[in-house]
Amino acid sequence: MRLTLAFDTSTEEVATGLGSISIGGVHLFGEMNLDVPRASLTHLFPAIARLLESADRTIAEVDSVVVGRGPGSFTGVRIGVSAAKGIAQGCGVPLYGVNTLDAVAERFSGRQGLVGVVGDAMRREVYPALYRLSGERIERLTGDAVTAPAVVAAEWAKLREPVLLAGNGLHKYADVFTDRLGEAAMLSPEVLWAPTGESLLMAAWRARARLTLGDGDPQTVLPVYTRLSDAEEAERTHAVPSPASGVAGPPRSGGAR
Amino acid sequence: MSARVRPLLETDLERVVAIERATFPTPWTRGMFVDELLQGRSRAWFVADSPWGLLGYAGLMEVDGEGHILNLAVRGDARGRGIGAALLEAVFDEALRRELARLTLEVRPSNVAARAMYAAAGFSEEGRRPGYYADSGEDAIVMWTGPLSSEGMQIAMSAVSKRAADIGAVTIERDGSGLEATSSNDVILAIETSCDETAAAVLRGGREVLSSVVASQVDFHARFGGVVPEIASRKHVEAISGVVDEALTLAGIGLRDVTAIAVTYGPGLVGALVVGVAYAKGLALASGLPLVGVNHLEGHLFANVLKEPDIEPPLVALLVSGGHTSLIHVPAWGEYHTLGSTLDDAAGEAFDKVAKALGLGYPGGPAISRLAVDGDAAAIPFPRAMINTADLDFSLSGLKTAVITYIRKEEQAGRELNLPDISASFQAAVIDVQVSKALRAVAETGVSTFLIGGGVSANPALRAALTTAMNARGVRVSVPPFDLCTDNAAMIAAAAHFRLGRGETLGPSAEAIPDLRLG
Repeated sequence: MRLTLAFDTSTEEVATGLGSISIGGVHLFGEMNLDVPRASLTHLFPAIARLLESADRTIAEVDSVVVGRGPGSFTGVRIGVSAAKGIAQGCGVPLYGVNTLDAVAERFSGRQGLVGVVGDAMRREVYPALYRLSGERIERLTGDAVTAPAVVAAEWAKLREPVLLAGNGLHKYADVFTDRLGEAAMLSPEVLWAPTGESLLMAAWRARARLTLGDGDPQTVLPVYTRLSDAEEAERTHAVPSPASGVAGPPRSGGAR
Repeated sequence: MSARVRPLLETDLERVVAIERATFPTPWTRGMFVDELLQGRSRAWFVADSPWGLLGYAGLMEVDGEGHILNLAVRGDARGRGIGAALLEAVFDEALRRELARLTLEVRPSNVAARAMYAAAGFSEEGRRPGYYADSGEDAIVMWTGPLSSEGMQIAMSAVSKRAADIGAVTIERDGSGLEATSSNDVILAIETSCDETAAAVLRGGREVLSSVVASQVDFHARFGGVVPEIASRKHVEAISGVVDEALTLAGIGLRDVTAIAVTYGPGLVGALVVGVAYAKGLALASGLPLVGVNHLEGHLFANVLKEPDIEPPLVALLVSGGHTSLIHVPAWGEYHTLGSTLDDAAGEAFDKVAKALGLGYPGGPAISRLAVDGDAAAIPFPRAMINTADLDFSLSGLKTAVITYIRKEEQAGRELNLPDISASFQAAVIDVQVSKALRAVAETGVSTFLIGGGVSANPALRAALTTAMNARGVRVSVPPFDLCTDNAAMIAAAAHFRLGRGETLGPSAEAIPDLRLG
């Protein structure tokens, strides 16, 4: 049976899972999800080792890797994506990226109606994503974005339909959504706000069915940021013209640095 | 054959299990070994490591003041060369340290070679466990040593040590300290992402650079006038897989030919470092290879060893870069004492800031050193801060301010700036202080070797001034070639070779340490 290792470090949690993805769905061999804020580099690899160990598997048996590409904490996402590139390249197996918000939405598979996932983007902003669920189907209605919570809440309120809310952005902004959406706001239990090993595998299964999983090349799997770096944002805001070469100053030709 | 006995690490498990499976009819599982590692003080496990990979392992369990040898295996292609004796020697050593009374073990009657080895090591057959081996129904022979303190066992144990010594450079260590690197042909794949260069290199035997790839991001940072940490981190993620692939391809090898993975884990930009560390941990997990953590600054020192392999401590090193300006006394590799360092700006930082004030763009070092060639170094008397103080510290912010003040005054007076003269005069002030302090450091420590490392050591005038001044006093100077001055992974691999020789590896929970110190 084929074996996929999946993990995500975009949120405060390190989510790891081991399973088999087939046309019909996901068979989960095991998962380990740890709440370890700002310590994913410390905990990711021991978690993977323990997961493999408890499933009585070795890394050599893994034949594909799935990683959450965010959006989320920039550093957190990079730790996960970099680790996944190393593992996939080292094992010589394909690497696939899934959207972390999609993996959160997967936790509600089987329900009906709208699910709004709100990822914490820091700086008083969130990464919102809206889904329509029916039966086994999950359809994503919005693209990747970063916005003020009040703006998202206002948009979702316009739908005049109940929205089941999830995501780690709710730790700070649940009030914004419940105030704005009123009766339409349904807060899911906090234990469902982060991706899990299983939900990552599910998101990969769904992306594969839609042919949006990518070609498996570890080089091309990159984080979803949704924001430029501060330096680039400032540059864009002040509209400083940069030379055609993109390089300010005299041409560089070796020498001291 | 050179091998080294050291404690078993979690990163060895894949290779241990491979030997176990090839050796025994009912092998221990990986889980059983993991369980052993979790048993703590009651166990002691050793591996014989070598440039050709792991050659064997042995485990000791302490029970009521006696020792049980749980397992001892030697890789098929390495048998009959004293590896078993070397492992047994480590077990004896450990038993003596723990003051255990006797040692015991079980062995199959059919394993004639093992029985002979144990008999020669002072074990005698004292009983049988009927039907102990489930696969064949064979009995187990129970062997015991005499009291380890007895004269007979002392003789037997010294015979084991002698046999072990015959295999050459066998060294035994417990805690990774106090050992010299063994010469070997290890192949190290090193990764460096501490600042704004994504680099990977393959090094054989600690000296031979099979490949060194550096993907510079400087063009992405130039228009911001300096390194933007968030951009650096993003570029590392984009580049790292391709850079490593290219390093392996240029070296003409695959991951299976590699002995160890190495990575810079500090100092540097934390967001940039974690990309390399996470990626390297992934490669190490996937390949079952040990992961060696390297201090970036130690890498800069080892850049010199790549060029001049006979460089040996004791020596003094000047590390000059955009982030560091320090004089370091190195009595022995791995032992570092900072004699003095900058109290404010690093030398590279001063170059960048002055270049910015002159409108020369980023990075400033190359621009200033190019202009300085045509300038008069004595044209403007910029201050030589702290040149006469008795300590070995530096201060560069005063000089930087003096240059910027001078530029303003000239501009206010409506005079055109003489860029070559300003560059040459500023550079000379920096160099004068570096040379003067370096000479003092060499005199105070009494060393006869001096080396330079770090990005600013690529400055031709600084290299020339230090070389002339040191040579005049009979001090040997090593300056890395230009491509090894700036950040690269070949130097990280060279330092990793040294660290690996001491059995120092990182575990799976290792972190990046942005403010990692040298020594």
